[in-house]
Amino acid sequence: MKVFVIDEQKCNGCHNCQIACKDEHCGNDWSPISAPQPLTGQFWCKVDERTVGQTPKIRVDYHVSRCNHCENAPCMAAAENDTVYRRDDGLVIIDPEKSKGQRAIMEACPYNAVYWNDELDIPQKCTGCAHLLDAGELPHCVDVCTTGALRFGDYEDFADELVDAVVMKPELGCGPHVYYLNTPKPFYAGDVYDPEADECIEGAKVTITRGSDGARFEQTTDIYGDFWFDGQELGNHELSIEAEGFLSCTKHFDAEESLNLGSFPLKRDY
Amino acid sequence: MSEPMKIRDKTVLKGLGFDSFGQGSNSCEVDVLDGKIVRTRPFDYNYKNAYDPQAKNPWKIEARGQVLEAKEESLLCPFELAYKLRAYSPNRIPFPMKRVDWEPGGDPDKINAQNRGKSKFVRISWDEAAQIIADEIRRMESQYGLTAILAQCDGHGETKSIHGPHGCQTHLLQLLGNYTQQIRTPDSWEGWVWGAKHVWAQFPVGQQRQVNMLKDICENTEMMLYWGSDPEAMCWGWGGQTASYLATHFDKLGIKNVFISPDFNYTAAAHPGKWIPVLPNTDSALQCAIAYTWITEGLYDREYIDTHSIGFEWFESYVMGGIDGIQKTPKWAEEICGIPSRIIKAFARDWAAHVTVISHCNGGGYIRSAYSHEPARLEVVLLAMQGLGKPGSGQFIYFQWQLFGMESTNAGPRSSIIPSIEGCYHGIDQAFIPESFIPKTLIPKAILGDWSEENPLRWHSFTHCSLPASDQFDEYRYPVPGASTIHMIWTDTPCWTTCWNGGNEMIEAARSPKIEFILAQHPWFENDCLFADILLPVNTKFEEEDFADDLLNGFYNHIFYEAPAIEPIGESKSDWECVLEVAKKLGVYDELTEGLDYEGLIHRGWEKSRCADNVSYEDFRKNEYYIIPTAEGWEDDEPGLHAFWRDPQNNPLDTPSGLLEIYSPSLAYNFPDDDERMPYPRYMQDGESHQESRFSERAKDFPLVMMSNHPRWRVHANMDDIPWFQEIETSKVHGDDGYPYEPCWINPADAAELGIEDGDIVEIYNDRGMVLGGAYVTPRIMAGAVNQDHGARLDPLEFGKSDRGGANNIICPTNVTSKHCAGEVTNGFLVGVKKADMDALRARYPEAFARKFDPATGILVDDWIIEGGNE
Repeated sequence: MKVFVIDEQKCNGCHNCQIACKDEHCGNDWSPISAPQPLTGQFWCKVDERTVGQTPKIRVDYHVSRCNHCENAPCMAAAENDTVYRRDDGLVIIDPEKSKGQRAIMEACPYNAVYWNDELDIPQKCTGCAHLLDAGELPHCVDVCTTGALRFGDYEDFADELVDAVVMKPELGCGPHVYYLNTPKPFYAGDVYDPEADECIEGAKVTITRGSDGARFEQTTDIYGDFWFDGQELGNHELSIEAEGFLSCTKHFDAEESLNLGSFPLKRDY
Repeated sequence: MSEPMKIRDKTVLKGLGFDSFGQGSNSCEVDVLDGKIVRTRPFDYNYKNAYDPQAKNPWKIEARGQVLEAKEESLLCPFELAYKLRAYSPNRIPFPMKRVDWEPGGDPDKINAQNRGKSKFVRISWDEAAQIIADEIRRMESQYGLTAILAQCDGHGETKSIHGPHGCQTHLLQLLGNYTQQIRTPDSWEGWVWGAKHVWAQFPVGQQRQVNMLKDICENTEMMLYWGSDPEAMCWGWGGQTASYLATHFDKLGIKNVFISPDFNYTAAAHPGKWIPVLPNTDSALQCAIAYTWITEGLYDREYIDTHSIGFEWFESYVMGGIDGIQKTPKWAEEICGIPSRIIKAFARDWAAHVTVISHCNGGGYIRSAYSHEPARLEVVLLAMQGLGKPGSGQFIYFQWQLFGMESTNAGPRSSIIPSIEGCYHGIDQAFIPESFIPKTLIPKAILGDWSEENPLRWHSFTHCSLPASDQFDEYRYPVPGASTIHMIWTDTPCWTTCWNGGNEMIEAARSPKIEFILAQHPWFENDCLFADILLPVNTKFEEEDFADDLLNGFYNHIFYEAPAIEPIGESKSDWECVLEVAKKLGVYDELTEGLDYEGLIHRGWEKSRCADNVSYEDFRKNEYYIIPTAEGWEDDEPGLHAFWRDPQNNPLDTPSGLLEIYSPSLAYNFPDDDERMPYPRYMQDGESHQESRFSERAKDFPLVMMSNHPRWRVHANMDDIPWFQEIETSKVHGDDGYPYEPCWINPADAAELGIEDGDIVEIYNDRGMVLGGAYVTPRIMAGAVNQDHGARLDPLEFGKSDRGGANNIICPTNVTSKHCAGEVTNGFLVGVKKADMDALRARYPEAFARKFDPATGILVDDWIIEGGNE
């Protein structure tokens, strides 16, 4: 069974995969596997860019989304006349001939990975570049990924790495065959300083306590007085800052997104 | 499994880098099926398994438990993958065209110069076009002399050999006897050339000698400063993603990154590190405050300064307030550069505590701003204060390795051969210094001014980036004695308005009746093409046969054969063929071609490639490439400025004293009264040439500072019409009218104050004009600054005043870098930003808004052609 493995930490956001997909499919007819993709408007492989946090403590997350070639593919169930079929290698293909007029195939996809081609009156999506696979080559998007963030191959070959992998919308039970590693989680950051001396405070102890389960995370600030907690969850938290010779400081926050909690001036403890 | 289907008929090799000047990169395998390009893939350095993989002497650098290896294929970027759309662009010039209300002959009433950009074009035949051009050249010759013809033929674009692309016309004009040359100024290196060269020389462009810096960094560097540099964006056209690959390796080594830039750039977005936002072109204040911290806290290498430099006391005195009474404290700098003083101090200490390299990729940050010589010189001084040249320290240039075919610009493992395409190159010969020339930055002034032999335009320097600093002390003039002022322009680089300083003035110059004939040859109808009188349609390199080299990829040099991928589109010819058509009419075709056909030229290309001893012509043609092995013993080359650090007396710099000239006696001697570039570096706020700081009077009306870098989704003005890029959120902002507006990054705090929401169309304006932009409200740009890449396609609302496409070079400063420095100023200038009243604009500029555009690509040539032509 073929799978895509996407390591979001390795992705540098170059968009090669998104553009390569268009290079391979826009205006190119690979029937019977796929009809030409229109010049614009469809993203069989799509890079989304999301900036989280607030200046100057921000992070840009790149997320690659595509057809999941699901084990229990809703598009397959929605199709008439066996229009959507699974190849022996696991790739889910919409027959471009038979699919004419079958909007249900597009509408069934919970990942919005199936697009409608108005001109041809057909649903279209990622084929895993099955026509290239059959010729002994890699999907074009994978071939041009320079960072190793996007890989493709047999599930068995990746199995060891996929222990901590996640799939999109697992609750739907579709059984996606696109696996994600190192998906970004919310962060909380800020910095600590001494307004009297006009200096950053290095070595301050910063603790974040999560409201939901009482989990505690501890860091000491760096030369810039910075703290940065990655891998967090949203919700209620308590921040406390302690530094020798200074009065402690606490702050309660209820996070709906990653946060730059700001700059914290500490008062001297005379 | 279904039956394998045919996925290609053939594969051809193409170098799709954008350096031009015969310096190739971004090699690709291009698949063709049924006469159409179907896909573009990385070039496999073991293509066809033609050579033993070990024969290329694969290199690796082992350090700190990690191995950096040369890749076995080119690391492409999106440009190559989408470039076929440039060949198939609906905006290709389809056939030779003549502006409908222009007549040759120079009669002012028949030129209608005031209609350039406005009036449309009619189709003419190649024969007619070539005859008109030949006749106009002969008329120029008899009426004014050949120096009346200005050749504009520099800049970046496709990289070709036989077909130029830039400068083919100079071969013809040299054969005819004379012309006037536009000389490219150091564009992306301005500050290094005008400033740093006076401190440390460093041939060719004033950036540090790069030999083996890659190995040195891997082994010794602890901290890397990305000072305005953005390898994830600016290197793409000169080696694809090699720079990204290297940056990722540095991360793995545990090198600490600091990003100092007004924007959280694409490298900060992809690599870990600390972002220190600094207001555009205030870096010199930050640099002075760092020096202050080091001096007051004893955090620098005084002994090195004493033994390796002259004139530090001038700088020290300036920093400590001895010259102007102002101490350059972090608190002083905070007000100017927007960085809290405590962070400046922490940064200064962090730097002093770590072996540090400053990386650059050209064109970022301060290097193209007003007085760019100051931050560039200050950077060298700061590096010196930390022992410049000690292992793991200095300046690192992420790309353009082997620039100008030189070893000294190569940071990677040395190649056994730096190849050349000189045997078949028809582009501009950058070493040729014609008698009559004008720096590119002064073209509008040259055209619009009332210059004569008695009252010439004067400036210093030949202005080409590769000359020694002493060239900057020579004065030049236009017109030279006995020469004409210019009356004709022949451009193969019609993008002055979108890449240079004060584009609105260039538009005015192009519409001046002093210029009787503008000839442009170009594949696409864009930018300066609007102002042409005759337009010749040019091929993309997919349509051409050529001989190529690739020496900027960072892994292996190679030479290769480029077969045509597709037939020429429309009536297009290559740049060289366009010139040959004119040569035929002038009766010099045989002389110009030297009797060689393409096969003959390719053979001579191989012969003079420096590889002829390693690969026979037969093998070269059969394999279509030759990959050049890494040199034996490359590891032993002493890195960067290590030798100078070790023993400055026996390994001097190319400065007059052989030492770092923090105070330059040459500058003091040659320009004793220059208060903009003094003999020692300092923070330069405003002066006679520029008032672009937030403290100038102008800032009351234009309170924001514009950062305008080389773009992420273009190379300068190249590829603005690629629909696949326009779909990317940081590439274009589509208005309600469907038009692709150039994004203008605005901090949420500024946006709230200005009442601007994400996606609004905004006016970006100053006293030089206005461009539109699409608001991209993002915390990735600091408050007080806005960011709009340069190079968006020109789409004038009102000529010389305003533009819909966002071609913001039209509102850059017109003045050059400083009084004696004829560089460009295209970054870090004052603007105001407000939400555009689109209804009012539509009412005011009905013609401009009525122009046809394709929502996927932008404005279209169709709208400029009168159907049916003149036949």
